[in-house]
Amino acid sequence: MPEISQLLPLIPALPLAAAMLTAVLGPRLLRKQSHWPTVLALALSCTASLMLLCKVHREAGQEEYERSGYEKIVTLYTWANVDEAYESDLRLRSPEGTVVISQGRKPLENGRLRQQSPEGATVNSRRDDSNKDSLATAAPLGLYNSEVIPFQGFTSLANDCRPEGTKKQGATIKNFRIEIALRADPLTAVMLAVITFVSTLVAIYSIGYMHGDPGYWRFFSYISLFVFSMTMLVSASNFLLLYVFWEAVGLCSYLLIGFWCEKPAAAAAGMKAFLVNRIGDFGFALGIFLIWTTFGTLDFHDSTAMGVLGKMRLASPEPIVNGAVGTAICLLLLLGACGKSAQFPLHVWLPDAMEGPTPVSALIHAATMVTAGVYMLARCMPLFAASPFALHAVAVVGGLTALIGAVVAITQTDLKRILAYSTISHLGYMFLAMGAGTVLGVTAGMFHLVTHAFFKALLFLAAGSVMHAMGGVIDIRRFGGLRRIMPVTHWTFLIGGLAMVGMIPFAGFYSKDAILLAVAEKFSFGNHVDLVYQTLYWTTFGGIFLIAVYTFRPFLLTFYGKDTVIPPEAGHHAHESPLSMTGPLVILALGAAFLGLYLEKTGGLAEFLAGTPSVAYLNRYPLAPEPSHETLESLHSSIGRQSTVMVAAGILFTIFLYAGSRRRLADRLAGPMKRLGLYQLSFGKLFFDPLYRLFVVRPLELFAQACAWFDNRFIDGSVNLVGILPKLLGAALRPLQGGLIQFYALAMILGVLIFLGVLLL
Amino acid sequence: MNDEFARSEYCPLTTDHCPLISVNLSDLLQDVLSSTTGPLMGSFRPEVVISITILVILLQRTFLPAWKLGAFYLMLLGLGTAFYFVVPWHGTMEGMKSPPPFTGMLVADSFSVGLRTLLYLFTLLLIPFTQISGVPKREDAAEFYVLVLGALLGMSLMVAANHLIVVLVGMEMASLPCYVLAGWQRNRRFGSEAALKYAVFGAGAAGVMLFGMSLLAGALGSAHLPTMASKLIALFELFPQERSAVVATSGLLMLGGLMLFVGIGFKLAAFPFHFWAPDAFEGASAEVGAFISVASKIAALGLLVRLALAFSAVPDPGALEKLAPAREYLVILISTLAAITCTFGNLAAYGQTNMKRLLAYSTIAHAGYMMMAVAAAVAVAGNADRSGAEEAIASLVVYAGIYLFMNLAAFAGVAFLRNVLGSEDLHEYAGLVRRSPGFTVCMALVMFSLLGLPPLAGFTAKFAVFKALYETGKSPIHALLAIGVLNTVLSLFYYLRVVKVMVIDPEPADRTAPEIPLRSAAGGYFFLLASFMLLLFFFSGGVANWARRAVESLLM
Repeated sequence: MPEISQLLPLIPALPLAAAMLTAVLGPRLLRKQSHWPTVLALALSCTASLMLLCKVHREAGQEEYERSGYEKIVTLYTWANVDEAYESDLRLRSPEGTVVISQGRKPLENGRLRQQSPEGATVNSRRDDSNKDSLATAAPLGLYNSEVIPFQGFTSLANDCRPEGTKKQGATIKNFRIEIALRADPLTAVMLAVITFVSTLVAIYSIGYMHGDPGYWRFFSYISLFVFSMTMLVSASNFLLLYVFWEAVGLCSYLLIGFWCEKPAAAAAGMKAFLVNRIGDFGFALGIFLIWTTFGTLDFHDSTAMGVLGKMRLASPEPIVNGAVGTAICLLLLLGACGKSAQFPLHVWLPDAMEGPTPVSALIHAATMVTAGVYMLARCMPLFAASPFALHAVAVVGGLTALIGAVVAITQTDLKRILAYSTISHLGYMFLAMGAGTVLGVTAGMFHLVTHAFFKALLFLAAGSVMHAMGGVIDIRRFGGLRRIMPVTHWTFLIGGLAMVGMIPFAGFYSKDAILLAVAEKFSFGNHVDLVYQTLYWTTFGGIFLIAVYTFRPFLLTFYGKDTVIPPEAGHHAHESPLSMTGPLVILALGAAFLGLYLEKTGGLAEFLAGTPSVAYLNRYPLAPEPSHETLESLHSSIGRQSTVMVAAGILFTIFLYAGSRRRLADRLAGPMKRLGLYQLSFGKLFFDPLYRLFVVRPLELFAQACAWFDNRFIDGSVNLVGILPKLLGAALRPLQGGLIQFYALAMILGVLIFLGVLLL
Repeated sequence: MNDEFARSEYCPLTTDHCPLISVNLSDLLQDVLSSTTGPLMGSFRPEVVISITILVILLQRTFLPAWKLGAFYLMLLGLGTAFYFVVPWHGTMEGMKSPPPFTGMLVADSFSVGLRTLLYLFTLLLIPFTQISGVPKREDAAEFYVLVLGALLGMSLMVAANHLIVVLVGMEMASLPCYVLAGWQRNRRFGSEAALKYAVFGAGAAGVMLFGMSLLAGALGSAHLPTMASKLIALFELFPQERSAVVATSGLLMLGGLMLFVGIGFKLAAFPFHFWAPDAFEGASAEVGAFISVASKIAALGLLVRLALAFSAVPDPGALEKLAPAREYLVILISTLAAITCTFGNLAAYGQTNMKRLLAYSTIAHAGYMMMAVAAAVAVAGNADRSGAEEAIASLVVYAGIYLFMNLAAFAGVAFLRNVLGSEDLHEYAGLVRRSPGFTVCMALVMFSLLGLPPLAGFTAKFAVFKALYETGKSPIHALLAIGVLNTVLSLFYYLRVVKVMVIDPEPADRTAPEIPLRSAAGGYFFLLASFMLLLFFFSGGVANWARRAVESLLM
């Protein structure tokens, strides 16, 4: 079995290679075979990810990682290395008490520096004792986790020019390096496995779905590029790289939403997604700046300096910054996460993003990219744990978004948009879990992320299958009774729906209960009553009912009904989708049905994820004393019972309203709702878009117009003035060049004389 | 002390202080022979190859006139061999520690090797260009190439000169073929006029320079540059005691120096000795323009560096301090002329409608930027730490190396467009982008590079020089830096105008389609040159390292 250091770079490298290959060969050579590089690369990448998962699972289980968590860093390349960029108080010390500053040209030395500090070594004062543990003793203990691929590139000019001798070997680290460093830890391994697995299935599905599209090769090239960016995002080991690929997935999302860019709605949706994300990314960037000024490093891991989330910093709670700065960092990071994960108030882009091809909606806007925010929160959890306010903010944003998504999804008529709002809602649940700030919360959120990836991708792909058969029609009012002609799609959609509503024993049941448990745990034990979590718990608990309604309403309207209703766009040959599309549906359905049960009963995922350094930190320094296992179990089972009742009630209610010939009941119920204005509120998506247009877009447009006016009048005017001046001067000089050589000679002599005169006087 | 210093140097043709006078004739002959044959086989092998090539081309012309392409291939072969020998890793640097070549008339150091490499590289690039553009015609090619090689030989002497006689000989050897080349298009009136103006102006400048040389040699009693420097130090040592004599001699030296500078200024086309340049460039073909504007300028800059550093930087740290007045004079002289030249070139380029005239003024401006680096080097030459001066000269070498590609590309673009348009007027370029988009993009790259925008080579060059200016830490040089930066802004307008005409202006209706596809020889050659604009930027580290190697033994 290959080493982690070989597997890890391979996972993003294969999709990148496929993207480039398809982009180069696609238009001329591959054409209708353009899917091969992507499918092969993703399948290999998926295999590598699963191998990595196994390997990390085996290694992280070892006893020595139990307390501090497991991580392994692979440094590919030193992007920049700026000497003497800053002074740091928190520093890594080698035995002599000095830091050997590594140089860009000696890759092996870099590796040696990235030692992990021995267990128990903490901040400055206490670490002095452990300085005796030299590099040599650290290595055999297995703490020396770094591997360096000698792949040295361009280091900064400043570094190149400087002679060796001027490098200070002082007591403080002063050089700033940006490395392309990948990390393998449980969190990354899980994310990688989910991303590559779902994307492989989606790529296979796309062979059928995108068949005959003029941009066939372009589509697969983008998909590969996306998988490359996403896998890099989750395996990056510093904030800068995270940010770079955060933007890269945003770019891929933009490209794929606007894939049919000749459609104005698609182009506008792409732009909207990009612009709304900019707000979040702006916050994220500010957060990273603040992290840099506060911690003096952007690395997660300990390298030449103590990493932001490095084991040394995590070894004790003190070096995690709290207070106003800590809260500011967390809130800015949260803003970034809100943008990418479509959380309130930046959720407005995701429904519009459904203009893209359905496989894209399934892969990027349901299963993977939108969960990047959740991943980031899980990664940065130690920072959030230091700030109760930030945790509350995360939870409130999550809970509110969960509710908003559910309320809006109930009345929508576009099948994909219903699913989009349900995605927003479920991401809200994940945020809520992260907001708990406990190991229970983080593992529950990640658990839901994994199961959600399966059932939501499944639902989207099933919706795509319907859309494919209906000739592009996606309005649920315009078709019905499709179970007769699309049996596979019907059954897989049903399984996906049951998983989403959280019906026992489908996947969503376990992960959703885990989230509810994590929130309930925050206020159910001890004498401390946290009203925020309590309120959130009950609202989201009520939300489960809404989930059932908004899931089964489109399901019943689409697949049931007395007659098979088919819109004219579908033509006469509405039929079940080809094998390349139903195959992935079946596989995902199996996952949606059994994955939750498997992960819950083995208890593997939570235990495995707890081996991530940032999660292990929460374990080591819990915010509140943990309740006993038994009380937790009893709470869990009671939540499970209650939620099952809730879900069953919701499903029965929906069936009562919509099944069979009783469809009129729903219309009758809608009457009073319309009079109360509630229906319009939900149908109008809570009027976020018009409000934003009025209060954000319009003022900005006016401001832009003012700027344009100023630019045209004043700035251009002054530039033109600068341009005219030398022109006039030049014109004044022109007569000098008269063409007469006598004058030239005279000028030369005069010049000499004048110069001599000036010198002598 | 003074004698000791003089003796430590090798001083061949001087009368006093020189121990050689006492040795017998056979020893002297032996010595001359060994100092001549050694370098001919060693560091000056390239020049030997060039001389042989000249002979072979002439012989081929006489005995094998039917071989039309003979001159071209022989030229490539000869230049290629010379280039092979001149690049530093082929033994040219050997023998530097041995007695100076040609009894001290020349120096063989890394700087001369570096600049000669640039000169040969440039000519090597120029030859295919002339072949593609069709000037000279095949039947005249032999003469043309012989003239180019002759000039090149003179330029090699210029950058390796260590004696005023060699300076004069080198300059004349470099200039005379250029006069002929400028009038190469005999049937065109402008060509002859340009050549005549160039020659008359050149003769005048050479006369003034020779006068200046005689003043310097007379006042210092030697024409060997290191000896002159030691004499100058001896003169300054007398200062407090024999005040009036020193002041009188100094005045004479200043006048001599200024007159010597006239000659160099003429070759550099520095203001006010630039008047020949626009006329000559307009009259001469673009191919010749490229040669004169690049090769001549690099050689003249090399010579300027040699002369300026000879009187401002001597190896002995004690003597170094005493040269302060000389440095002050040189800094004032060079920096003033650099600032005026640069500003004048940029301002005058504004109203030009003829591309070659525009480029002529642009090259004047570029000479100004390069002179700034020399001024900076002289300003810090007095420091005990020589790295400052070395960095400044290295920046000059970087600039020269990049300027070589930029200017060659600009003139090549003009020549290729002349071949399809029949005109060199800027307004004829209107709407070029619609017919030959690839070519226009390359031309735009070259213009942006001349302007100095990243990510193009011109930026690397300007940045290197401006950085060197900044790092001198002296306020007059900082003023020069400010002028240089302002000038860059000035130059924006006329370089961009070229791009604007090509891209934005509507195409004239009455024009035949001027198409230069990138797949043709001309387009491909131009594309290659334009790609260097990007390459030299992205591999600027390599260029900088190379330049640093070129100056490593300059100040030893």
